[in-house]
Parts: sequence; structure tokens; C-alpha cells
Amino acid sequence: MRLEVRNVSHSFGNRVALDGVSFDVLPGVLTGLLGPNGAGKSTLLRIMLGVLDQDRGEVRYDDRRVSAEDRRHWGYMPQERGLYSGMSTGDQVVHFGRLHGLSRRDAASRARALLAELGLEDRWDDRTDKLSGGMQQRLQLATALVHDPAVIVLDEPFAGLDPVAVASLSETLRQRVRDGRTVLFSSHQLDLVQDLCEDIAMVDRGRTVMKGKVATLRASSGRRQLRLQVEPPNHEWLLAFPEVTVVGDEADGLRLDVPDHIDPLEVLDAARATGRVVDFGLDLPTLSQLFLAAAADQAVEGAGVRG
Amino acid sequence: MSTWWQGAALVAERGLVENVRSRSFKVVTGLLLLLSAAAVTIPQLVGEDRTTYTLATTGEAPADVVAVLDAAGTAADFTVTYVVREDEAAVRTAVRDGDATAGLAAGRLYTSAVNGGTFPVVVAQAVVTAETSRLLEQAGLSPQQVADLRSVRSPEQVIVGRVDDEERAGVGLLVGVVLFLALTFAGSAIATTVAVEKSTRISEVLLVVLRPSQVLVGTVVAVGTVTFVQLLVLVAPLVVAVQVTDSIGLPPVAGGDLTLAVAWFVLGFALYAFLFAAAGALVDKITEVSSAILPVTITLFAGYMLAVTVVASDPGGGWSAAVSIFPLTAPMAMPIRWAAGQVPVWQLVVAIALTAAAAALVASIASAIYRRALLITGHRVKLREVVGGRAGS
Repeated sequence: MRLEVRNVSHSFGNRVALDGVSFDVLPGVLTGLLGPNGAGKSTLLRIMLGVLDQDRGEVRYDDRRVSAEDRRHWGYMPQERGLYSGMSTGDQVVHFGRLHGLSRRDAASRARALLAELGLEDRWDDRTDKLSGGMQQRLQLATALVHDPAVIVLDEPFAGLDPVAVASLSETLRQRVRDGRTVLFSSHQLDLVQDLCEDIAMVDRGRTVMKGKVATLRASSGRRQLRLQVEPPNHEWLLAFPEVTVVGDEADGLRLDVPDHIDPLEVLDAARATGRVVDFGLDLPTLSQLFLAAAADQAVEGAGVRG
Repeated sequence: MSTWWQGAALVAERGLVENVRSRSFKVVTGLLLLLSAAAVTIPQLVGEDRTTYTLATTGEAPADVVAVLDAAGTAADFTVTYVVREDEAAVRTAVRDGDATAGLAAGRLYTSAVNGGTFPVVVAQAVVTAETSRLLEQAGLSPQQVADLRSVRSPEQVIVGRVDDEERAGVGLLVGVVLFLALTFAGSAIATTVAVEKSTRISEVLLVVLRPSQVLVGTVVAVGTVTFVQLLVLVAPLVVAVQVTDSIGLPPVAGGDLTLAVAWFVLGFALYAFLFAAAGALVDKITEVSSAILPVTITLFAGYMLAVTVVASDPGGGWSAAVSIFPLTAPMAMPIRWAAGQVPVWQLVVAIALTAAAAALVASIASAIYRRALLITGHRVKLREVVGGRAGS
């Protein structure tokens, strides 16, 4: 079911943490809440989960204001890992299942299935503090998913994970999305998750700076990058394209920012005329590039308002 | 509100299981059991050497007196040794110097002012009995008749009066001591549990599912139950010993006083436990728990001192009445005053109602503090950050 954040604001004393943030999370669409550290992501998630109260705005679920009873059935994984260190892996998952309203028997059978899915089936009796960091992270995920929640909210689930763990967590989340769950996660590692999320809401200093489908946002940004490796290296032919700017010049070649009205193939042809093109490609801007551009725009806008 | 209780019960169940499985619970409970067993058995072992009195006489002690004294010793659990002195002056000196408990010479019974207890009375009685028997035999009674006369006993004494005030006051004082000690340990355990949940961010997950009051009540119930179990462990050997050997004299205590004692213990525990829980929510690191709970510990200690000094010395005074009704001191002061038998029933009812209301109020304030303070990390939370105005971060 659809989760809606409507114009949510929150201040800590005089410090504005969230300033009218709005976005939707649709079931079956993996959604990322992105932004740099301190952008207000955790505060927003805490408000969505009812751990914190908003000053203004509302969180809606299933076309009505979200209730405590709704949230009781959601799954939430906070940024810092919250586990009882002295408890056994299995007991821990069962406990959280029961807190979410499962019977002891249901909680136990789901915990077994979930720990097997996450590769922790032979750790049932091990104390949490005996597990490795990666295992604790998966256990944490298990405590958030044990009751098969319709809404799953994860705060920075990818922080500190190695590439294997990132891939396995991504697969777990994709599976939940395919099953029609509503999944939202936050991350400050924009490029790490740009292939994972379908939808994003990007926040900076408490405001939404960008939201929508990742593919659409990247394609419609009006910015493309041409990647070129020419032998021998030579920049002089570029003088013919004053509007094309060099954004990177490294060992693997040039990165050129090609504006909308210039055909990248013309640039490629000009390069071919000067030497041998070893490698080339047309890249859409990354999420972090989009973010930097959007943040710069907002800063200018903000300065204009203040001025 | 069945779901409210279910949530609190789940928290309590988890806390209880983890607590009972923990090594510290096993160690502490084992120590308590040992301590309690030792307290019961050691006095018994030591008590094996019976009281011994010494009787000094000029010449051999008269056989009939010795017979009566030995019979009395068997009945009243003492032994008598006999020493012989040359003359009356030597007997006198022996008693004065403490070499003998009592002395018999020339028809006089010498006793010291400090030693001996009832022994001189027993000796005097023995002399009288021996002399009476001799006279009765001279008067023509057969030895059997004399023996029958000597076997006459005064009727068995049965105490049916009210339980002694002093013993009742003992129960009152005991509630204070036990509550104070139990809270000192349990309070720290409660604050630590809350602080651990805060520092590991488990509380954040809990708050999505549960209300702060459920988390706090569950935690307090878990630690409270463990504390109560440990108290039972502490008294269990005593109770068993009383049942089995019948040799330990427990003061007779009215059942009503005991019920009231348990009620005050529960009320006082609840009131202070929530204060400890709120204090635990203010810390940033686990190591700060002991300093964070210091204000609560000091309040508890002050309450205890007020109870034992003001109330115990003058249970009927105005200050005592105030101290025994004020919620923070009532659980420790009222049992003492009530036991002293100087409390109108309405005061007891008011004190119980006020303390229960205060416990509920503290629980709700603690829940609010808990919810706000949990999200403030990076520094020790000051009370004014979470009371009244908005929570900071």
C-alpha cells in the first residue's frame, strides 16, 4: 500500500531538520531516500515510524493518516545496529516477531525460514556478540523482516558493508519488492545505490531537492557525458566545440560534458578524425552528479530568496 | 487494553529470561543462598556449647542440691560445675572475681551484680527444695511421697496477648532496610538495562512497536521479579529451618503486618524503579549509569535516613506523620510508624493512595523522558532538555 510523506517539517530547537518534505513510496517500487550526512534522512524516517513527532505535515498510509497500529506491523531497521548482545540469534528473531504480534510458534517457524534465507541457519543458538559484523547486520535485518511486514523501512542499511554483503542485501530487498512490499531505505552513498532503486527522493538540508524515477531523472537531466579514449592523446580538436567541457582527463581517457543541443556523434567523429578511438561510451550523469547540480541550484535559489 | 499488557509482558519475559540466564544472576543468587544457609546453620553449630554456670561452696556441695540443680540444667539447657573453697571468705572472693557464678556458704547465697542471670534464683530454689524435702521426710512422709511433691509443676504458660510492639516495629524497620538495599541493587540494574537499550538503539525499534510505558513497566517488572526471587532465596533457608528444627526463635508477627510490609515494598519499589529507569535514559554511554542514577540514589538514601531517624525516634510526632505520608519517604517510614501502633487508619490509606498515585505519575513522566532522551545521543542528556520544552538533538 502507498506510503505518503506530506509536507513534513521538524525542528530541534532553532535548528530546522526538515522543511516541508514530501514524497511517495509505492508498493513494488524500491525507493531510496538519498542525501548527504545530516540532510535529515534519519529524522524523517523516525517521524515516519512514529519514534519522533513532526511539527507540521503528515505521514499517510493506505490513503489515511498512519496509525500506531499500522506501524506495529511495519519492519524498521535503525541506522545503528540494535541487538541484544547476550541473547541467542534465534531467540532474538523470535522475540521481535512476537513483539510484532506473531504467536510464539509462528515467530519460531518464520525465524527459521528467514535465518536460512540470510545464511544464518546454523547460528540459531549462538550469542549475538559472537557473530561477525556482517552476520550481525543480517541478523538485524532478520529482526526487521520476521513478521513479513508490508512496509519495510531501513536507515542506511548499506553503510559499512563489503561488496558481497551489498549484493546480498540488495537481492533480499529486491525479492521483497517483487512480492509487492513497500520498501524504503536511506543512503548517503548515492552512486552505490543508483542501480538498485527505481524511485528516489533526494533531500538536502531538510528539503526535497529531487524526486521521481531514477531512469527518468538521469535521462532528462539535459546532461550527458561522452567517454573517449583517443590515441595519441590530444585536446586540440576540442576547440571546435566551445560548449563541450572537459569534466575529467585521466589515464582511461576524457570525460566530456555534452549539452543537449550538440549531437555526441559529431564530437565522436571529430575525435576519430584526429586519431584512433580505443574506447568510447555515452553515460548519463550519476546520482551524485545530479545531486551536486541540484544542491547548487537550490543554494543559488536560497541565496536569491535571502538576498 | 489487553495488547498493552501483552507488550509489557513480552518485554518483561525477555528481561526475565536474559536476567536469569546471566552469569551475574547465578553468582549473586548462589552467594545469597550460601549467606542465608550460613546465617541459619552457623549459630546452630556455635550454639552447641551450652551455657555453663559455676557454683562455689565450702566443702562438697550438698548432694540433694546438686541433684535438683542437674535436673534443672537438663530441663533448661545449662550445665553446672562445682568448685570447693576453704571458707566463706574464699567463696565470697570467688564470686566477686568472677571465678564462680554464685556461692553457697553458711546459709548465705553470694551473687555478683552483673553475672549469672537467673542462676542464683535457681540455686536458691534448689536449696529451698532440698531443705523442704528433708523437713518433709523428717515429718514422716515416705521418699515416694516427697518425690511426688517435688514433681508438682506450675501450669504451662501460654502467651495469648497482642504481638509485642517491639517485634512489630522490627518488621517495620525490616521493610525499610530491605527496600533500601533491594532498590540500591535493582535500581542500578534497571538503569543499566535502559541505558544498554538506548546505546544499542534497540529502544528505537521497540518504540515503533511499543509505547514507552510498556517498555518501562516491562523492564521494571522483570528486574523487580528477579529481586523478589533473590529475596525469597535469602529467606528460604530460614523458613525451612524454622519448619524443620523449631530451634530458631522468630518473633511472632501478625499476618496483617506482613501483608502490609509486602504491599509497601511493592509500592516503594515501583516508585523508585521508574525514577531509576528515567535516569538510565539520560546517559550517553553505559559507563555514565552510576553517575546518572546518583540523584535518585541520594533521594532514596535520604528517604531511608529520614524514616529511621525521625520516625523511629518519635513515631507519634508531627514530622513523623509528614514523613510517613510523603510518597518518597512513605514506603520506608509508614511501616515503622504503623508497627509502632500510632497511625490512624485514614493516614495509612492516604499514604498508600498518594504513593500509588506518585508511582503512576513518575511512570508517566519517566515514559516521556525515555521517549525524548532516547533520540538524543552524543552527550549526556540534561533533564531540562527533555522536560517541558521540545526535545533537542
